[in-house]
Amino acid sequence: MFNRVGIDVGGTYTDAVYFRNGGIQCTAKVPTQSDNLVETLMNAFDTLKISDEQEINQITVSTTLVTNAILQNRIPPVKLLLFSGNGMKIDALPWPVSYTELSGEMDFRGRETEAPDQKEWEKFHLLRDNISHAAIVGKFSHRNRLHEEQLAAYLKEHNPSLTLALGHEWGQANFYRRSLTTYLNLGVSDLYRQFAQQLQTAVSARNIQAPIYILKADGGSLPLAKIRPIDSIYSGPAASVLSALTQTSPDASSIIVDIGGTTTDIGLTLSGAPLISSKGAQIGDFSTLVRSLAVRSIPVGGDSVIRTKDQGFIIEEYRLGAAYCLGGDRPTPTDAMRYLKLIDYGDEQLAEEGLASLLPPVKRTPQLLYDLAAEIIDRVVDRIAEAVDSLKREWKEEPAYKVWEVLHPHENKEFNTIVSGGGARGVTTALGKRLKTTVQLGAFSEVSNALGAALARPAFDCTLHLDTYMKQYRVEETGEQGKWTGSLRPHREVEGFLETLVQQQATHYGIEIQDMEKEPFDFFPIVQNYQTVGQIIRGAVHLRPGVIGRVKE
Amino acid sequence: MKRTGILFFPAFDWSLGDSHPEREERLLYTQEQLFEEGILDLPQIKQFSPRVATMKDVLRTQGLFPNPGAHTKSLDPHLISAGSSLLLGEAQVKGDIHNGFVMARPPGHHSGATVWGNRGFCSLNNEAILVNYLRAHFGKKRIAIVDTDVHHGDGTQDIFYHDPNVLFISLHQDGRTLFPGSGFVNEKGGPNAWDQTLNIPLPPGTGDDGYHYIVENWVLPRLQAFAPEIIINSAGQDNHFTDPLASMNLTARGYGRITELLQPDLAVLEGGYSIEGALPYVNLAILLALAGEDYHHVREPQKLKRNTLTLAALKPYIQDLQKQQQTVKQSFTIQNKPYFPKGNWIFIPHSVYYDTEGFQETRHDYVRECSNCAGTVYIESRRYTEKSILVRIPFEACPICEQAGYDLWDHLQKPNEGFAIGILQNQLHDKQYLWNRKEGLMEF
Repeated sequence: MFNRVGIDVGGTYTDAVYFRNGGIQCTAKVPTQSDNLVETLMNAFDTLKISDEQEINQITVSTTLVTNAILQNRIPPVKLLLFSGNGMKIDALPWPVSYTELSGEMDFRGRETEAPDQKEWEKFHLLRDNISHAAIVGKFSHRNRLHEEQLAAYLKEHNPSLTLALGHEWGQANFYRRSLTTYLNLGVSDLYRQFAQQLQTAVSARNIQAPIYILKADGGSLPLAKIRPIDSIYSGPAASVLSALTQTSPDASSIIVDIGGTTTDIGLTLSGAPLISSKGAQIGDFSTLVRSLAVRSIPVGGDSVIRTKDQGFIIEEYRLGAAYCLGGDRPTPTDAMRYLKLIDYGDEQLAEEGLASLLPPVKRTPQLLYDLAAEIIDRVVDRIAEAVDSLKREWKEEPAYKVWEVLHPHENKEFNTIVSGGGARGVTTALGKRLKTTVQLGAFSEVSNALGAALARPAFDCTLHLDTYMKQYRVEETGEQGKWTGSLRPHREVEGFLETLVQQQATHYGIEIQDMEKEPFDFFPIVQNYQTVGQIIRGAVHLRPGVIGRVKE
Repeated sequence: MKRTGILFFPAFDWSLGDSHPEREERLLYTQEQLFEEGILDLPQIKQFSPRVATMKDVLRTQGLFPNPGAHTKSLDPHLISAGSSLLLGEAQVKGDIHNGFVMARPPGHHSGATVWGNRGFCSLNNEAILVNYLRAHFGKKRIAIVDTDVHHGDGTQDIFYHDPNVLFISLHQDGRTLFPGSGFVNEKGGPNAWDQTLNIPLPPGTGDDGYHYIVENWVLPRLQAFAPEIIINSAGQDNHFTDPLASMNLTARGYGRITELLQPDLAVLEGGYSIEGALPYVNLAILLALAGEDYHHVREPQKLKRNTLTLAALKPYIQDLQKQQQTVKQSFTIQNKPYFPKGNWIFIPHSVYYDTEGFQETRHDYVRECSNCAGTVYIESRRYTEKSILVRIPFEACPICEQAGYDLWDHLQKPNEGFAIGILQNQLHDKQYLWNRKEGLMEF
């Protein structure tokens, strides 16, 4: 049996769950003191009342710290130096930060087509300009990191105190996103390091020896010291999807709906695995390469204000205090739920009053009030259903690049729906009707993120790209680039090679590999003058995100 | 915002042979380039995923001989390529996108009205199947295809040769110097569609300047006069100076400019076999031009080494060509078989060589001369001892031609006639039939 603690450090509250011997032993909810995280965390531990700290096997933390720092623009300036090369004009895309373009270019195979010009580098006065952080990113640097390393060596020599980040460590294609990801990751690194120290201090102070893991945007967990800071963004929605996973059978396909006060988050799991977004995460104005779950957040929730408009009403994107039936002064979907007796909290009389304010006096009959309440619920459910459809389209309409993929599209799946959050009970029936699925109420919604974090599995991906003619290999996720010494047309050899890489990565993270999922290799013969001179080979292994256990209510 | 659709289908698991130019690797570096540029992050770009064309979509435009069943094993990638064109074409006419680029393999423009197999790497004609799909489903009437592949678009020409409502313009390296050896100025269309086919054969060595001059001074005025509802560009990329199969001297930016000049509603990738030196850059330039972005920074690393014809040297050649083209007069042979319905049937015999598998198709084409419509077409086609027929009742057929088509189709099925198999392509009512003496009639 395993005993795990899950902690969700949010902006307002910090939630914690102690999961012991296959069940929830204890939960905690304490206010987050943003100027004293150590105390916040110790408070949370104390509230959990763990009798034997030595029993704990692992602590997993999800945090909005990095997310909020980026969204609130609280990151120190980073000098962004780009080997932008030819091609699309760089300013065709929106850059949320300034950059400096340098000469030097690689091509798509990682061959140098233009060498950098050191004279340009001599013009930098980074220290004089008070710059302590610089990110260097080259177009096609994920194919060849040479220029990035040359410039880094030059800058280090002249500015030894400079903190540098190189783009090739983000090994997926997309120069634009690689640049912004490298920028952000460097920008939040000090903040993250500080958070890690505070976390470690609090854990040690409570005499806990268990290793600390951090939840990533893709719903996987990795050790505190091994994760790249930017990967910790959006762990909240990921945790909420994982929390739902703990309440379904292992291979179920689920629509996960979490109804909050003003927003509703919607996610999808397919045969037990959360749907991953095909593009990297978008955070504020930054497009990144961060792998994240495909989720939709729609601006409608239990407390959304309802206003009359023309002959009917609209549901606004904001809230103005509590629902009418809970002492607020605006009608909300919660009032409709209360009026229809779908929920049992709030004042029935007030709910009716609130709804009535949306109708002209002559129309305030029980029948018309009932119709209005039902229509409000339907509208909310329609919005949710649209988001569900859009997620399903994202899944079904994944671009296909092979004949086999087009001829074998995703099979339809039998979905169930899990609804949690304040207004969950109020929409269950309507949602089931609209989505044509069974609907289950999610449990523990007060601490669902902490629960999801507690039971998160470690997850990573390893995508090998091998060019036997250029005698180079690289790994997308780690940015590793190395020499290939094997044959020009490897068969079994490349499988073993990938397994070794995966094993090395697992050892680096200190995790055990379970349920490794292999993608079939793609082989591209490289032909010159009608002779096959080598191969480009792509292959990938995934440790999918998921949960290690299930919760019984 | 003006949106540009992209359908990228590189068929990474399919080739025509291990070291064949049409192989898995062909769009690999294009993918690397486009993805690395972040092209899918451009707010106006919308990516689509492919779909499979149906046999009905194909038979509306092309007769698969001796019968469609004989092709089923080899058609999958071609059906996806054609289906991808349909998907993006449909998105365009519905207004979901302003324009689009179907960057799919395999290509299609050498595949003609009758198909016995693969030729010039093509089995199905993606653009032609799209054109007739848009006419059948969206009521489109006038469509232009501009073929900028270095090879003559002989398949597309064959399909629309008798169709006055489809303008086909092909610019290509002179057929005396390159496959498929056709596409001369005297090929101007059948009797009912005279001057709706325009071939502009270019001398080897033509570069950006020369090409742009021709587009601006010959192609665009012709397009303008025709006033099509839709312009489709068969965007082959083998005019590039690094192409191993041809001898022209266009650059990636030159292609960007062609796209900017033509303003096609849809560009469909055709050939282009300089998979490292040209395709990543040409595809990028075309896509940027479609998306209204600056393509002038797209630069292929290789430098032009071959000699380029100067515009001064090319101009007189072009003027002469234009004169020749204008002076070609109609000259057709009438040949009426005893069982032909009333009217004058123009006889056009020719043969088609299938280079991929190395065999010859012998065609006897007949078209009913008509001043009211495109005229019913009757094709007898032979490969070795096998023989199939095609009867086409065209879009907007006049009642007389329509009746002629039915009469002909009925006659061919009579017990005493020597035919065993045939296809009725009733474009007027969008019905396609396969008839087989043993198995009878089947509708698609």
